[in-house]
Amino acid sequence: MVDAFVEFLAAAVRIATPLLLAALGGILSERAGIFAVGLEGMMLTGAFAGVVATHGSGFVLAGLVASLAGGMMLAGVVAIATTRFRADQMVTGLAVNILALGLTSFLLRGFGAASGAPIIRVATLPPLPVPWLADLPLVGPVLFRQPALTYLAIVMTAMTFVFLMRTRSGLTLRAVGENPAAVFAVGGDPSRVRVIAVIVCGAMAGLAGAVLSLQQVGTFTDGMTHGRGYLALAAIIVGRWMPGGALVGCLVFGAADALQLRVQTIRLPVSSYVIQMLPYIVSLAVLAGLGRTARMPAAIGLPFVRDPR
Amino acid sequence: MSTRPFVSSLLAVALAFMASALLIALSGKNPLLAYGALLQGSLGSWDRIAVALNKATPYLLTGVGVALCFRARVINIGGEGQIALGGLAATWIALRFPQAPAVVLPALALGAGALAGALWAGLAAAIRLRQGVHEVLLTLLLNFVGVLIVSEALQGDLGEPGAGFPQSALLARAAWLPHPLPKTDLHVGIFLATATVVVAHVVLWRTPFGFSLRVLGASARAAAYVGISPARTFLSVMLLAGGLAGVSGAVEILGVHYRLIEGFSTGFGFNAVAIALLAALNPLAVLPAGLFFGFLETGALAMQRAVGVPSPLVAVIQGLTMVFVLSAMGLTAGRERV
Repeated sequence: MVDAFVEFLAAAVRIATPLLLAALGGILSERAGIFAVGLEGMMLTGAFAGVVATHGSGFVLAGLVASLAGGMMLAGVVAIATTRFRADQMVTGLAVNILALGLTSFLLRGFGAASGAPIIRVATLPPLPVPWLADLPLVGPVLFRQPALTYLAIVMTAMTFVFLMRTRSGLTLRAVGENPAAVFAVGGDPSRVRVIAVIVCGAMAGLAGAVLSLQQVGTFTDGMTHGRGYLALAAIIVGRWMPGGALVGCLVFGAADALQLRVQTIRLPVSSYVIQMLPYIVSLAVLAGLGRTARMPAAIGLPFVRDPR
Repeated sequence: MSTRPFVSSLLAVALAFMASALLIALSGKNPLLAYGALLQGSLGSWDRIAVALNKATPYLLTGVGVALCFRARVINIGGEGQIALGGLAATWIALRFPQAPAVVLPALALGAGALAGALWAGLAAAIRLRQGVHEVLLTLLLNFVGVLIVSEALQGDLGEPGAGFPQSALLARAAWLPHPLPKTDLHVGIFLATATVVVAHVVLWRTPFGFSLRVLGASARAAAYVGISPARTFLSVMLLAGGLAGVSGAVEILGVHYRLIEGFSTGFGFNAVAIALLAALNPLAVLPAGLFFGFLETGALAMQRAVGVPSPLVAVIQGLTMVFVLSAMGLTAGRERV
């Protein structure tokens, strides 16, 4: 019973990892005033690039770099379209998600077998028990016997918080999301800040994709992110645009997913679909509850125009 | 109406096709042969055309609603959920009243679909109006809940026992939409969709409601100043778009599948957004834009079979088209007339 519970918690952390990395990236993007709807596509490109590069080179490190680059490339499209061309952010996000789904599925087949999708297998990242800490009761197996990218995600949560709330650049980034004109007035370049924020978001989402393909599954399948990018978006809302909050949100969503997988064995009175709805319903409740006091970045969704006509 | 948005839409499509041609060439295939096969597979025979028209039908119905919403700057991206629930409601009615006469049953089921879609959009609208949360987040999140409700229903009472796949029982023949052309799969949905497009055009440009949509889109303050209630206009256009999305879910079930199938409408709602944008938010232009998507997707598999270019290329073309259109629209925003 205890063992099963520990295993459940460890699974929750495992499942939360890609959500967390994507959500952290999304927080940077949204805090700078750009909706991160493209997370889903960036994750998918990252997952794809990671598998292809790992398989091609034989090195996981090359795969991870490719994941970063893949996510950043798609983010670059979002960044240019939403800043240079002032395209609608939400819908641009949807567009790159469609693009990423098509592109990864196409490339998987285009350069592989003529008919059907080839299956590229790579070894998954093994768990790396942290010496001493891994032997702690309960905490050890849940937190300290995870694969490398999970530790990275936890470290990144702290780093993102420090960057956003305790550094000058973080302050500038948040100012761009609240009032880009003010940043411009004191000599800053809001568009540049936004472009950088979105591209860093792409890198983190790409890495989130690598967690899926290189750490969890060991292959790439069409649309394998399966809505996790949108789930990360929901975690940002639940976490009220703060890294720590997003961490909690992702862990709750991870637990819900882990529970959903165990519905059959533990004979819950609800179906797995109802549990799958929970993250979205919680997010909706948080949104509705925040109501008019919602501290969404004030300038989110609005293009910055230097010389308003 | 200026012709400029249409020029940029055509340019966007052309650019997307050219970029994708590069991709085909890189994968070692001939782009011209691939596009030829795409054309052949979508327009090559009456049968293919019928399939493409059926495919375009839900896109047209949902796309028109999205276009009206976006006109009023109501960013409703909840089509996915609204369509799914529309299909669910239509199935439920059709399975519940199998004895109803042939004309009444489809009408009833379509009505139920409209109601379900409108309710789902209305839920988002109500939260927006009461709590001031932006509808874009609400409609996006409600999509996932809506789709999961369909899965849940198929898991429960509505599911066909022993089917091996989450689907409902086959609907009674009386519930099927009529097929006007023998020997093809074409159902009457396309006529309904075309009529809706025309009506939406008239509503947008020739009625007080359409005027209020356009004014609200230009400036919420101006709308309030001339006595248009932003809240009421918002609610109406959301209900309307939700209803249309619900109808398209119902049409897809009653005209194509004859049963509810899990994931029957995946991507429809997002495609409808793409189509509304491609049409530069003009209801009449939704017709060519929606047909374009329908024919594109119908030809995709034929292209894959004939020249070995993978069918997901079509999604690449769609995504690129969307990015280009959005960029062009962003650049010209604020310059158009109400």
